[in-house]
Amino acid sequence: MMESTGMEIDRTEEELYPIAILIDELKHEDLSFRLNAITNLPTIALALGEERTRSELIPFLDESIDDDDEILLSLAEKLGEFVNYIGGPSYAHILLRPLENLAATEEQVVRDKAKSINKITDVMSEESVEQYLIPCIARLSQGEWFTSRSSAAGLYANAYKKSSSETQQQLLAGYERLCEDETPMARRAAATHLVKLIPNAPEYLETFSIKCFKKLAHDDQDSVRLLAVEPFIAIGQILVEKKAWKNLSGKKELFGEIIKLCQDKSWRVKYMAADKFIKATSDIASFQKQLILVAERLLSDTEAEVRGAACTQIVGLLELVSKQEDSDIKQFLIPIKGLADDSIPHVRSALAKHITGLCSIFGRESTMGELLPIFISLLKDQDPEVRLNLISSLGKVTEGIETISHSLLPAIIELAEDKQWRVRLAIIEYVPLLAQQLGVDFFNDKLVTLCMSWLGDPVYSVREAATANLKKLIDVFGIGWAKETIIPKILATSNHPNYLYRMTTVFAFKAIAPSITAQVVQDLILPCLEALTNDPIPNIRFNVAKCMWELVEKPKQSDESSQIQESFKTLLHKLEEDLDQDVRFFASDSLSKIENWQSSKNMMPLENE
Amino acid sequence: MDIDNGSSSQINISINHLDEWIAQLQECKQLSEENVKQICAKAKEVLSQESNVQPVRSPVTVCGDIHGQFHDLVELFKIGGNSPDTNYLFMGDYVDRGYYSVETVSLLVVMKLRYPDRITILRGNHESRQITQVYGFYDECLRKYGNAEVWKHFTDLFDYLPLTALIENRIFCLHGGLSPSIDTLDHIRALDRVQEVPHEGPMCDLLWSDPDDRCGWGISPRGAGYTFGQDISTSFNHTNGLDLIARAHQLVMEGYNWSHEKKAVTIFSAPNYCYRCGNQAAIMEIDENMKYTFLQFDPAPRRGEPHVTRRTPDYFL
Repeated sequence: MMESTGMEIDRTEEELYPIAILIDELKHEDLSFRLNAITNLPTIALALGEERTRSELIPFLDESIDDDDEILLSLAEKLGEFVNYIGGPSYAHILLRPLENLAATEEQVVRDKAKSINKITDVMSEESVEQYLIPCIARLSQGEWFTSRSSAAGLYANAYKKSSSETQQQLLAGYERLCEDETPMARRAAATHLVKLIPNAPEYLETFSIKCFKKLAHDDQDSVRLLAVEPFIAIGQILVEKKAWKNLSGKKELFGEIIKLCQDKSWRVKYMAADKFIKATSDIASFQKQLILVAERLLSDTEAEVRGAACTQIVGLLELVSKQEDSDIKQFLIPIKGLADDSIPHVRSALAKHITGLCSIFGRESTMGELLPIFISLLKDQDPEVRLNLISSLGKVTEGIETISHSLLPAIIELAEDKQWRVRLAIIEYVPLLAQQLGVDFFNDKLVTLCMSWLGDPVYSVREAATANLKKLIDVFGIGWAKETIIPKILATSNHPNYLYRMTTVFAFKAIAPSITAQVVQDLILPCLEALTNDPIPNIRFNVAKCMWELVEKPKQSDESSQIQESFKTLLHKLEEDLDQDVRFFASDSLSKIENWQSSKNMMPLENE
Repeated sequence: MDIDNGSSSQINISINHLDEWIAQLQECKQLSEENVKQICAKAKEVLSQESNVQPVRSPVTVCGDIHGQFHDLVELFKIGGNSPDTNYLFMGDYVDRGYYSVETVSLLVVMKLRYPDRITILRGNHESRQITQVYGFYDECLRKYGNAEVWKHFTDLFDYLPLTALIENRIFCLHGGLSPSIDTLDHIRALDRVQEVPHEGPMCDLLWSDPDDRCGWGISPRGAGYTFGQDISTSFNHTNGLDLIARAHQLVMEGYNWSHEKKAVTIFSAPNYCYRCGNQAAIMEIDENMKYTFLQFDPAPRRGEPHVTRRTPDYFL
């Protein structure tokens, strides 16, 4: 008897121990201890068991809510993942109380995290949503401070899905009130989250969604109005799905609203509308004439931000125009030319990124006549970013690439010599694409020298990109071309007086390995590598050792393969005796990789038998 | 020089571990406290074998102050090449000021353990218990590990860092500058370096002094070390058969700066020092023929913001 009592006490103490530590740590004066306690909540909950977590831990956490924001943030995040520790979905509502308090705090990041209520909503039953969540949302929506009302807006969409139709009506009514809240902060939250609610309530499109949209679009604060663009897109999507545009009674009025946003007195609203223009309007077939006029105005807006945003829409816009029977895409050439000469580099840069997409719309003749001159002027732009953007999108130029190639070359060369190494790096990455478009003759003529000069760039990362570029070029032009043109040039760099550039030779071999054949390795590369095993600089020798393994594994196998392996092994055995420990290490490493690989290759046929 | 290891048994850390830790640190993720303890113990063993005037072979790339600017150290490797492919010599001041002193110094120490022949790390005036308590490293350790143990391991290790290096007997590299108590390299070799950086004397001067336009020795405005003129550099180089003194320690806007009619050069490798000075950084590549090239570089682009696109104006956020 005595013994069993003793054990009983022990166990109780053991059970109390974790919660005791937690409470201690949660009250610790050092923030990092308190934070640590919060991160360990799941462990504590496991130790306590589901029932005590529900009855003791959660109420305790709820009471200790007045603390540092960092603690609250972490707590809000953890509580969202807590359903399993309190006994599963049927008890999920217990978590609502502390989260509701967190949703009302002053700090916005904490409130954002408190939206983990939505995670809990997803696992709650419909009954408990009605019983617990709806009252919680109602309380938050009528909270005294805007903080709780803003948080409430984010909870409607998920709750709506799980509510009875009667409650749904109440929710929509509540949301409408949030859209006309007295504070712009709550109205902004309502505008932001309306996008999620609209698709959940398609049957109340006119009586709810459009009504709310209009309220937001007419708001006296531009920070609210600019958030009305996204809900408009969501409404449009539903109208398209339901094929309901035509029969919509207030369609003219609705359409008028988006036009108004495009012409808003605040440039921030215009920016939003311009940035999403195509998404918002492409479905509204019957009003396209008017839209085109609005778009033209956006392209020549007084604010650079608006013009830049409009540039991103240019392809979709001209697609729309080209579908109109009585309008001419050429009327847009004047504003486009204006944008190409814009005084703000950012605008020209946005144009350069998108303008090549117009080629397929303009067709061969107009591309040659009208667009190419604009491309050429952008290729000569004083800002490297503009030139780079145009070159990066040349893949979309379908006609007349040879016509602009004479302007392309100086542009490439200038970028290739830019003093910013990241610009040089960027242009290298576009070279394989250009190679494909310009063809082998032009390339051999004009670009091979450039590509090889990048191997000698003072910046390591540029040299590295240059070697990767060579591999891609071999993939475009073939191994025959590589043997004639670039491999001899790589071999020539192995005599450079500076070890960093001889290293590039070795790195180049490594880079092109997957795109060459064993025969090329045997005939061209092996002699060079053999010479480099005697390089005076150990760094070269151990990179040769590393490279040999790559040259065994990567190239296409052929009759020469086994011969190469044997030659490499002989050389690696020699390097294993090197005076430098790093050379010895990488020689042994490559050697064992090659041997393992050989034995696994030899196993293969046996397996097949 | 006689250094007591405290224990005769050698510490073994496998190459796989070192490679793993290098990969982890390259992502700017700190090592565990236990691993820091291990690398510091092992590094003491390795560094105690090195001389106060550690001989270094060319080719090598010489770098100045880093000061916890981890992402700029990554940028430095992008410019100069990766270790071990490129040989490096760092002239101190890995910690303090920047936000990532822990990751920076951990990475350099682990690299030193993995490739002792490919990288040399010297002591700067910030590799000291006193200075790190004022300029950030101590607080950073406390914040990132919750206690001062890691700081203690590193600062104990710093006592073992070599004071100077000598490239091919021709280029003399150190953090600060010359000392009136030192005429020859042998004087330096004779110092007992395993101690906290003293407030005065030859060891202090090597880590604190600056070259100056005025001739002779001067009082340093820093309160430690001296200023030394061209006459001092010329005669020191002559006495010791040197071509050049390469040192760090001072912010220079172009990243490198010649002084004393090319008898001395300052190299500073923390671009936009303290995230606000607007300076370029530089490294000095010395090839196998002792030809040198300076490479300048700017701060690494901030993460999440691609170089070529414009930032969204703040008022949209």
